[in-house]
Amino acid sequence: MGRALQRTAIYVVLGLWLVAVVLPLGWVFVNSLRSSQEFVANPFGLPWLFTGGPEGHARAEAWQQAKANYAKAWVESHFSSFFVNSVIVTGCSLVGIILISAMAAYVLARFRFRGGRALFLYFISGMMIPAQLVLVPLFFQFTWLSRAGSRLLAPFGLELRLHDSLSGLILIYVALSLPFTILVLTGFFKTLPGELREAGIIDGCSEYGVFWRIMFPLARPGIVTAAIFNFIGLWNEYLFALVFVSSAAKKTLPLGLASVSMQSQYKTDFGLMFAALVIVIIPTLAVYMLLQRQLTSGITTGALKG
Amino acid sequence: MKQAAVWMSMNLALGALLCACDAIRPPADQSVGGALVEVAVFEGGYGIGWHQKIAQQFNDERRAQGVQVSLWGDPRVQDKIKPRLLRRDPPDLLLMHQLPFWLLVSAGKVLPLDEALNQPAYGAEKPWRECFLPGMLQSYTSGGKVYAVPSSLGAWACWYDARLFREHGWSVPSTWGEFESLCERIQEAGIAPLAFQGKYPRYAWFTLTALIQRCGGLAAINRDNRMDAGAFSHPDVVRAAGLLQSLAVRFFQPGAMAMTHTESQLQFVNNRAAMIFCGLWLVNEMKATIPAGFEMRCFNVPLVEEGKGNPNLFNGMGLEYVFVPTDARHPKEAADFARYLVSPRNAPDMGRSIGVISPLRGGTPRDTVGPPLQSALDMIERAQGFFNDRLSDLMLAWDNQVMQPNLAALLRGAMTPEAFGAALDAGIAAARRNPDLVIPEYLPFDPVAFGETP
Amino acid sequence: MTERTSQRVFAGVFLAPAFFLFTGFVALPGARALLYSLQKWDGLGRAEWIGLENFARLFQQGDLFLKALGHNLFIMGAAGSSVIGLALLFAALLHRRIRGAQLFRVAFFFPNVIAAVAVALLWVLLYSTTHFGIVNAFLAQVQSGCHALGWTWPNWRLPVPFLDSRFLIYSVVPMIIWEVTGFYMVLFLAAMEGIPESYYEAAKLDGATGFQQFRHITLPLIREVLTVGLVFLMISTLKFFDAIWVMENQTPTRDSHVLATLLYQKVFTEYNVGYGSAVAVCLFVLVFLGTLVSLRLSRAERIEY
Repeated sequence: MGRALQRTAIYVVLGLWLVAVVLPLGWVFVNSLRSSQEFVANPFGLPWLFTGGPEGHARAEAWQQAKANYAKAWVESHFSSFFVNSVIVTGCSLVGIILISAMAAYVLARFRFRGGRALFLYFISGMMIPAQLVLVPLFFQFTWLSRAGSRLLAPFGLELRLHDSLSGLILIYVALSLPFTILVLTGFFKTLPGELREAGIIDGCSEYGVFWRIMFPLARPGIVTAAIFNFIGLWNEYLFALVFVSSAAKKTLPLGLASVSMQSQYKTDFGLMFAALVIVIIPTLAVYMLLQRQLTSGITTGALKG
Repeated sequence: MKQAAVWMSMNLALGALLCACDAIRPPADQSVGGALVEVAVFEGGYGIGWHQKIAQQFNDERRAQGVQVSLWGDPRVQDKIKPRLLRRDPPDLLLMHQLPFWLLVSAGKVLPLDEALNQPAYGAEKPWRECFLPGMLQSYTSGGKVYAVPSSLGAWACWYDARLFREHGWSVPSTWGEFESLCERIQEAGIAPLAFQGKYPRYAWFTLTALIQRCGGLAAINRDNRMDAGAFSHPDVVRAAGLLQSLAVRFFQPGAMAMTHTESQLQFVNNRAAMIFCGLWLVNEMKATIPAGFEMRCFNVPLVEEGKGNPNLFNGMGLEYVFVPTDARHPKEAADFARYLVSPRNAPDMGRSIGVISPLRGGTPRDTVGPPLQSALDMIERAQGFFNDRLSDLMLAWDNQVMQPNLAALLRGAMTPEAFGAALDAGIAAARRNPDLVIPEYLPFDPVAFGETP
Repeated sequence: MTERTSQRVFAGVFLAPAFFLFTGFVALPGARALLYSLQKWDGLGRAEWIGLENFARLFQQGDLFLKALGHNLFIMGAAGSSVIGLALLFAALLHRRIRGAQLFRVAFFFPNVIAAVAVALLWVLLYSTTHFGIVNAFLAQVQSGCHALGWTWPNWRLPVPFLDSRFLIYSVVPMIIWEVTGFYMVLFLAAMEGIPESYYEAAKLDGATGFQQFRHITLPLIREVLTVGLVFLMISTLKFFDAIWVMENQTPTRDSHVLATLLYQKVFTEYNVGYGSAVAVCLFVLVFLGTLVSLRLSRAERIEY
């Protein structure tokens, strides 16, 4: 009897939190299927898309509305371009972060040389630097780097613009993610057996070959963990994008979402707003669902990513 | 060794790929083979469609000279522009507000427009300067130079639904006493008398400024704008604050203090609240959501009994000013486009297309706008002139950290009018101690010229 | 070429990209921030050395900085304690291998992977004072339900203006709890699953209740992860930015500023680079101390099972 009661209590507590977590998200999704007029008239009920409206609104019409919300977000509000920008920035950054960190981490973990420990600590000290500290100096640094670069490139009829470019953002993201990723991967490379390298060398591999053909593939679990946490962080990054990107053509998703929310305030377009929210949420949801096992098993690592 | 070279070059290639994918590009000018003028515009309720149309028109006329305008807008354009001014890569022409304008002017970051102002206006035989309504350029003048020109005329008014008023037999009040009793009658009818954009207390600041003029005349406005010691503790200001407070406490819609401008204005157009104080942009901002049959009209802030101010004046100013930053790549072309944008030739179309009233004399003929704005034009025509507050644009930190929170407290009834005035004065005194603050000279409004006895 | 030299070349080639990127885009800018904080500079004209004046200004009575820091500390205390408490509770419940544990684990974690901007906008809608604000609608239901039962309580003045600047700092607390509890739950759960089952069996033989097992076995054994989580939470609340920035439409007021928003506003909207950098340096000192502690603790001797 007591046991059953206890069990029920547990389920009630967990169930309440489940509702609190899932309900708002479901609400967003459902509302993205309503027109603004419907949202104002019927914010909590089932969408007219499923029930038909009060005055016998045709379902076809509601369906058109739902599609219109997404079309408006995707095309008119340029979410397609925000999306592509986010994919480019996150993708390039991840490739850069993983490759550069893995190379450094491999050397730091497997080779003993003078200053190696100091160098490792130098990288790790970056974890104690909040991104906000480097934000302002980087901003001015980009200005003079761009000016210097443009002077060099002028003879070729080109100019360098680190501000307002995806590349600039990628550069920053890579640099800022290095400490965390190097820490994780160094730890991982340390666990790999050292004999593998000798075996590789005997088989005629160079040091480069050993890294690329043997060590890098073996480090996959560590790399995946580091990549997931970096992915979530970068896909959702707002502050740096806000400072370094100002033109509409270079906006990433969080930036685009924030500005659409401002616009929808001036135009009172709720349908657009909800559709935009769904577009931002879906990719992380998908990645999370696919990789949640690796993510939850690497969670202790994630806690180090400040 | 060969492999080291291969890896190194792979690194470099990767780096180049990552960095150069869009950071290295040909200068934008190359695409037009001449001067590409970048124009950034505040995108509010009006949208930017009209501005783009004018830019297109301009481009068609200038194609031969190789001058092309590329115009973009954003609701938070000032936040986009501030960093760009800081990185010395601003657009060539800016149309917006809420910038630390005078800081920029004093740092030499804004070009004077006098040369363009002395050239003939597009669509008129006289210099551009002389086309503006009197007093329009005053707010942007310092040391005899004009650093910006307004592109629209803003006016503060109280909006109502004429149909709702007709149905209930209410009439437009002309005195503050009538206004308050009207609010009572509306309340008795079960409707909230006033909607309010409480998330942005700034909206009440305009009403308060109008009330200060009604109570104390232009002399009081001058005192405040000059930042005289104790200007906001003056009995006239305290009285105005008291009137506003008693209005807010009794007649603002419940929950209004947490509503954004859109939310509260939606309450108004859906007749959940009968009236709302707002600028002329209200008409456009709510265009899409106004139900059929809603007759939006406005009246000036009513006169206050025994007040010293001329009740026909209105709280207004040239808004959305246009200026050319010093770091612009094409300052001449930018100033030329400014003269084209704000011209007698294009002003009527601005009224017709987006319902914006022009800061030019006779720029907006009555038949170019709908009934809501016609009622605003009536109000403007009745007035001999306008007045405005300059502090909220001049001292952004004070506005944000002192004025708005204290104003919110006043409206909630959490602060007496006396304490409110004292807090504003103390805030001004503190703000003036800030060595970074730039205060341009003040050109006062002349009470006598506007029919007031000082 | 000797093997030794080629190894050196190899190490150099592999370390160089990370070293230069990190130095050029993290370490040097970090050092430069320290210099900026000692200057009076509007970012446009000439900089002027003023020593520690910026810091003196920060700690003046009534300055925004202290107010903002207070808000960070409030969020840290209020949200932090609730998050740790709830996360421990949920982890302990799930640790009992109940049916559907996997579902709960996956769902609870989810808000964590959503962009903070999206979460903030979602909560703006939930908190709305208009009729579609779900939180206010819920409170109204509760209130009328209670009144229907003949109670005189509660007497809330509805709608509650959650998004009013004055209340925003309080209003973000439930949002943060909603957003991050799942992360810490999974973190603690992972630690709990590392505890050998035999410990619990032994305890059961001794007649320990569920709570006693939690208190005397689980808690001590996950203490290390618990501290790491706590410190991480503290750091992330110090850096809190996105939600306030979005919910305040990019213009936080005296009542709603946190350190990061103050930094942004001072530098990029008020052009006071020196002051803003001084805020950044203070933030750095706090985070530095926090991270130092966390790294120390996470390397502390592990309990051998």
